Amino acid sequence: MSGDVIYEVKNVSKRYGSVVALDGASLKLHAGEVLGLVGDNGAGKSTLVKVLSGAHKPDGGQIFLDGVEQSWSSPRQALDAGIETLYQDSGLAPHLTVSQNVFLGREKLVRGPLGALGFLASKAMETEAHADLERVGIAVPSSSRSVSQLSGGQRQAVAIGRAVAWARKVIILDEPTNHLGARQAGEVLHVIQAAKSKGLGVIFISHTLPHVLEVTDRIVVLRLGKIVKDAPTAEFTSDSLIGTITGSIQTIKLDGD
Amino acid sequence: MTDSHLAQSARSARLQQLTQLATNQSTILVGVMILLTIVFSSLEPKFLSALTANNILTDWGSVALIAVGQTFVIISGGIDLSVGATIGLSGVVSAWTMANVLGVDQTIKGGEASGALLIGTLVSVAVGVLVGLTNAFLINRFKIVPFIATLSTMGAALGFSVIISKGAPIGSASNFALISAIDPKVNPFSWAVIVVIIVVVIVGLFLHKSRFGLYTYAIGSNSFAARAAGINVERHLTKVYVLSGALAGLAGMYVYLRLGAGSPSSGTGRELDAIAAVVIGGASLMGGVGRMLGTVLGALILFTVQSGLIMIGVAPDWKKVVVAVLIAAAVAVQTLQSKNRRTA
Repeated sequence: MSGDVIYEVKNVSKRYGSVVALDGASLKLHAGEVLGLVGDNGAGKSTLVKVLSGAHKPDGGQIFLDGVEQSWSSPRQALDAGIETLYQDSGLAPHLTVSQNVFLGREKLVRGPLGALGFLASKAMETEAHADLERVGIAVPSSSRSVSQLSGGQRQAVAIGRAVAWARKVIILDEPTNHLGARQAGEVLHVIQAAKSKGLGVIFISHTLPHVLEVTDRIVVLRLGKIVKDAPTAEFTSDSLIGTITGSIQTIKLDGD
Repeated sequence: MTDSHLAQSARSARLQQLTQLATNQSTILVGVMILLTIVFSSLEPKFLSALTANNILTDWGSVALIAVGQTFVIISGGIDLSVGATIGLSGVVSAWTMANVLGVDQTIKGGEASGALLIGTLVSVAVGVLVGLTNAFLINRFKIVPFIATLSTMGAALGFSVIISKGAPIGSASNFALISAIDPKVNPFSWAVIVVIIVVVIVGLFLHKSRFGLYTYAIGSNSFAARAAGINVERHLTKVYVLSGALAGLAGMYVYLRLGAGSPSSGTGRELDAIAAVVIGGASLMGGVGRMLGTVLGALILFTVQSGLIMIGVAPDWKKVVVAVLIAAAVAVQTLQSKNRRTA
């Protein structure tokens, strides 16, 4: 049911000083696929996310989007290419309103000379932000309300809604169900399914393994900067997944399929 | 979210709007202004006069300019301590240029005077821009925290202004013709104050209505999120510190016009007045919060208190104590407000 390979990294590595954060990691993401990315703390998940989102440049390896090699020099370039990233806990500016956050970095300006000076079409953005979030399946009381006045669940919903509304190819979600109650987490998983059916490639990073097993099509396990397992979700049980993450279950090094 | 949830949150939103208006920083500040005016004018009837208003507004002008720049800096999560020293340096360089390069005699009037005024202003603003660029360079390139970066440029600016002026004011007020720009006899608003008000309104619109202002809030609120949204944080901060420097340069010209001389110490300590105005105006030193109207009223309250205390015969030394109380009260109100918001 998955489409073509939409996003791919080959053999990427990244070191911070003497610490090897990523050691020759390769993965393929297909259109309409939800890929789970799991691993213990320090396994290299965050680093891989930063490489995929254009925030960090890898020391070695290649990145392909739709088969074309890319070299992101800023998050802006990856965003413009259709890759949205939701960072863990820090994706929104709390003092800005919902619509300001939804449009941050992509503001609509008023027409005419004032627009040339950077004056904002705030009303239009408020209306559109509200519609965008609703389309994704997220109900937010008011898009003119500041994010600091929202509950944790609502904030997360806005962050995910923004990512899904803007994403054209790939959406990377780093711990999107963190700190959420069961009902809100359920809503998030629902939004992920919606993104998948839109034909987006979704990378889902989480410590909450039941969520990973529930929502993903395939799971990639990182350990100490290396990808130690890459298999369809159906092949994992809760126990085998934990065992693979911690290393108590031996894995065979994959030689790129 | 269900319909009853939505209805409930709509009701609480309306309630919140009402409480917001009542606890709104600008509403409170206008109230404080009115209260101060009533108290001072009942103790000293002469307080309620065009002359007093002009004195207050003339004092307000120079600090309003740097406080407006400081508002951007503080909202972005930084601080600019160099603006006071920049007033001195830009005034000195401008006075030196007018006297030694243009050969302007201080008694000039009319058309010739406006030419000299224009060039002097450009030089003054250019000096401010240079200080702002230096601040941004130190902050972006070497990751020096704004407090230390601007503390060092403050010292350097003060040093240069003493070196250039050889420690003495350039020019003197006694035969200064340009001073008519700031003459109190016109009405409460001298020309210089009108220029300041125009600048404040324009810059205020940019803060609240433009992308430039929005990015300033976004960076101060969460610089990580701003960066992730594709904003070039370093480039934006450069613009913010250059704006602060340029306005300090303009304030330098303003103070030059008032004193009739470029004096190295003419802006000393003014950065603290500006920061006080911004904080009284409701901004948070943590960044992400602040309003231009708050800053403007904050600065006005500072100088109303100062003039009022002198007019009712309180020793000027008390001014600092009163300002300290105002700052503490402003921050206390702010803390209570944010606590209310969190429990709402």
